[in-house]
Amino acid sequence: MGEVLVAPRHRVERRAMGWWALRTAAATAVVGGAVGVGYLLITPWRAVLGPVLLVVLGAGLLHLVVAPPWRYAVHRWEVTGEAVYVRSGWFVREWRIAPLSRVQTVDTVRGPVQQALGLATVTVTTASAAGPIALVGLDHRTAEVVARELAEITGATPGDAT
Amino acid sequence: MSEPVARGEGWERLDARVIWVDLVRMLLSLVPMAVTTLLFGGAVDGPVLWPAAIVGVLGVVGAVVDVLRWVKTRYRVTEERLEVRTGLLVRSHRSIRRDRIRSVDTTARLRHRLAGLRVVAIRAGDRSTVGESAPLRLDAVTTATATRLQDELPTGARAPEAEPEPGGEVVLATFRWRWVPYNAFTVWAFLTAAGLGWGAYWFGSSVGIDLAGVVVGLVDWGALGTAWTVVVAVLATGAVGVVGVGAAFVAEQWGFRLVRADGPRGTVLRTSHGLFRTRRVDRDEARLRGVELRQPLLWRWSTATETSVVSTGLGTSWLTTSASTVLPKAPMADARRVAGAVLRDDRPLGTPLRAHPRAALRRRLGWAVLVSGVLTGGLWWFAPGGWWLVGAGTLPVALGLAVVAYRSLGHALVGRHLVTSRGLNRATVVLRRGAVVGVTFRQSVLQRRLGLVTVRTTTAAGAGVYAAPDLLVADGVALADATVPGLLTPYRGLSPTVGSAA
Repeated sequence: MGEVLVAPRHRVERRAMGWWALRTAAATAVVGGAVGVGYLLITPWRAVLGPVLLVVLGAGLLHLVVAPPWRYAVHRWEVTGEAVYVRSGWFVREWRIAPLSRVQTVDTVRGPVQQALGLATVTVTTASAAGPIALVGLDHRTAEVVARELAEITGATPGDAT
Repeated sequence: MSEPVARGEGWERLDARVIWVDLVRMLLSLVPMAVTTLLFGGAVDGPVLWPAAIVGVLGVVGAVVDVLRWVKTRYRVTEERLEVRTGLLVRSHRSIRRDRIRSVDTTARLRHRLAGLRVVAIRAGDRSTVGESAPLRLDAVTTATATRLQDELPTGARAPEAEPEPGGEVVLATFRWRWVPYNAFTVWAFLTAAGLGWGAYWFGSSVGIDLAGVVVGLVDWGALGTAWTVVVAVLATGAVGVVGVGAAFVAEQWGFRLVRADGPRGTVLRTSHGLFRTRRVDRDEARLRGVELRQPLLWRWSTATETSVVSTGLGTSWLTTSASTVLPKAPMADARRVAGAVLRDDRPLGTPLRAHPRAALRRRLGWAVLVSGVLTGGLWWFAPGGWWLVGAGTLPVALGLAVVAYRSLGHALVGRHLVTSRGLNRATVVLRRGAVVGVTFRQSVLQRRLGLVTVRTTTAAGAGVYAAPDLLVADGVALADATVPGLLTPYRGLSPTVGSAA
């Protein structure tokens, strides 16, 4: 794909790896915790819940180790005067391009963990039901600038952008 | 309370005949109770009375609620918007800007038709902000008002008391009897038969006839043997179901007409049909972005095809697809002709599609082997005896489906349209290139090894995303670039960029 389509210009922040890892850790803790409580309390089910618990923890750990660096290698973004261009994913990669003339809204989102790490996500929605284009793992100052510029450009476009 | 507000500013009530309809409904719902009481005299016991009582109570409560709704509902049409106030406990005031209105449907159940009433549903799609909003319903107004609303509402200017002119109409399709078998033979037939049978049995038992006994006494089942009994039962159930579904289809699509009619704001695609319950849907042609043809797998041999439009503002969930369907299942030739007429261009569906690379077939065959392999392994590990043979038996089926899925794949750029085709239940989508609001490429690690990429075009209309799966990478990028000229040009390169992880 690299020979045919140039990757977007900017990498995401290294801190984003920490955010992805924390998310995985939290999800694993919740699911693993629930199964673990079941394992401790419901003795007759231990034969089943034991392997399930191992699988959950193993998959979580693997995801925790493999996904963040892989994502960091893949995730890239670029905003020009004409288009938003984002590459994301890890096992399945996705290149998304939307012309700015079709952008409907631009939002900045910062969850608690992102705030702690100084990160922010810019979501760009088009009129499609396919979901917004998300620029994740941006430094929060960069995100602010990008969101403001995007809003200015798209605000100048007439029509309902469908 | 709200009377002063409601008067003098163009607020209108729903039609008063709704109340009469409700009264009749209430009386009708009490009939079963009266009949059972009369039939069985004083000796009414639980099992007989309960169903009748439930029907009666539901009917009365429903009618009373409906009358209250009538009392509390007002609507008005102003220059810019349509407003509806309703609600007894939870007041609601909804307003829709008239230039956002994307479709106005009218439906009528038998009771509405007898009273000369129509239910009007107004949709304004703006899912980018608040999700798919529920249609605004006026239940019910007179037929004349409904027709007037349907003709005027989307125009943005109310013509005072002027009867809408019939205007020019081009008939694109009318009901054909040969469509009936295409729609009657479905798997739902068995479910319908079960429903009919249960209903008949329930009704029979409440008037003292044991229908099960009648069926058992019909044939000497013992002499027939188990296998034949099953065969006869399945065939009989299927036959009853097919007749039931067929009859329902005829009643629903009776007098079907698809026309392109002149509206004040432009042309609309209008379908009207129905024997007992009539339905008329106007689809603003300015919002049309393409058409979709669906060919169910099991009926591929008969070329049965359902035609719908890809349009903004018509619901997309499977519950609401009916507003976008412009032709029920019909032979491919009919569907193509209608789709060509809707697009005003025969070429997109007349042009042969380009096949996808062999690697796409390899990917599907690989998945088929994997799925049946996992199934076989699982059965061998967990299930006793020879069950794993069943798993192994799925392999030829899975391989066959893989080939079918591969043969469905195709794409073409024809003039102003992008045509893509995919799926076991083959869906062919013709999308106007100008309607594409973004491009997505997806590639899993395995697709990357095969040199494949899935191109997804996003659009505001229909399902929102239409995919051309498993193209060669270079072809996929070229297709996307040609679909939206200039969008990808800055990013196309022949050499890998420094630091690229691709």
